[in-house]
Amino acid sequence: MTATGRACDFKVIAFLQRQVTRLANTVNEKETCLVVIPALNESSTISSVVASVKRAGFRNVLVINDASDDNTAELAEKAGAIVINLLERLGAWGAAQTGLRYAIRKGFNSVITMDADEQHPVDACELLLEELSSGRANVVVGACPERGSGLRKVAWTWIKAASGLDMQDLTSGFRAYDRLAIRRAASWRGSLLEYQDIGVLLLMQRHGLVVVDLPVNMRSRAVGGSRIFYNWGVVAYYMTHTLLLSACKRIGLSPYKTPAVAPKVFL
Amino acid sequence: MIPLVTSAIGLTVAAVIILLIRTDRLHVTHGIGWLIAAFVMAGLGFAPSIFDSIAIRLGITYAPSLAFTLGFGLIVIKLLIDDIERSRLKMRHTRMVQRMAILETEIRRIKKTETEPETETETETETETETNA
Repeated sequence: MTATGRACDFKVIAFLQRQVTRLANTVNEKETCLVVIPALNESSTISSVVASVKRAGFRNVLVINDASDDNTAELAEKAGAIVINLLERLGAWGAAQTGLRYAIRKGFNSVITMDADEQHPVDACELLLEELSSGRANVVVGACPERGSGLRKVAWTWIKAASGLDMQDLTSGFRAYDRLAIRRAASWRGSLLEYQDIGVLLLMQRHGLVVVDLPVNMRSRAVGGSRIFYNWGVVAYYMTHTLLLSACKRIGLSPYKTPAVAPKVFL
Repeated sequence: MIPLVTSAIGLTVAAVIILLIRTDRLHVTHGIGWLIAAFVMAGLGFAPSIFDSIAIRLGITYAPSLAFTLGFGLIVIKLLIDDIERSRLKMRHTRMVQRMAILETEIRRIKKTETEPETETETETETETETNA
């Protein structure tokens, strides 16, 4: 065998080794990752979402049943998910945060949050996790700025201006959190938030964590509609709430330096 | 006549507060503040001249405007304190609902594992200790 041939063989072996290591890492990362799916009356889609996440190699799927009126919990359990039934409706963020707290209790390294309405592409979970494990970010947001109505885009422009956040997709609930980000988001400060979008991103930013966008293709909702952009009154409340929060948190924006005074009782 | 009405209102409020505490509808902690307010109201009703003299010292020609301003300011402060407390309670309530749901799931899974032993994928390596740093 010539020297060139041997060099070529070494290159192939090195390439294969890298691929095997990458595959092993991916498998390991999936094992220590918890996929959290908040669900409210999603009986039509929850089974298929859980099944497809499991098929994608994520063994740990947690569905937070946000006090649904239908049999979402039952179907999710049948599909192989762990189900947490909330005693009362806490909203998408309250449910997602329950999942983050569960992840801390069980020692997971990362969490992916995704919707139960088939909007978020399951195959992109792996990409989110890869980006997270690269160490470049503490939170990776699956972004699809093309989706949504004109109204939503106007809202985003205003929110970006108020918050100073330079993200493509501010409202996406398709996110991957690393261990540190999970702890921050699951803290009592996170429990004061009503929505999962701006408040959580600002919380991460104030803690000095890195949040990045990762473009993904989202599907349009097959059943139901947005929990926010469906009624003018709710939109007005959401916008006022979000703009006020953005502006208040932006003033003196800097990482938390000293531990804040915590409430006396942690629950 | 107005001083009498003010005093009557103050005394009535005080009586209602005592009744609410007696029937366990109002916590004593909250009752203290309300009782003080009621007695101050009654006292000022019986002796309106106190307010007049304070107003004169402050250079306010119309004494009742001082009473209204002070009263309004105290109400605003009270409402703000209540909303701060409500925010704290809401946060604690949310966390309690979350924790209860998590524990319920854990109990259910332990019971399930006892009846049909299976390999658990996740391991309980740490407890949830929350930091605020």
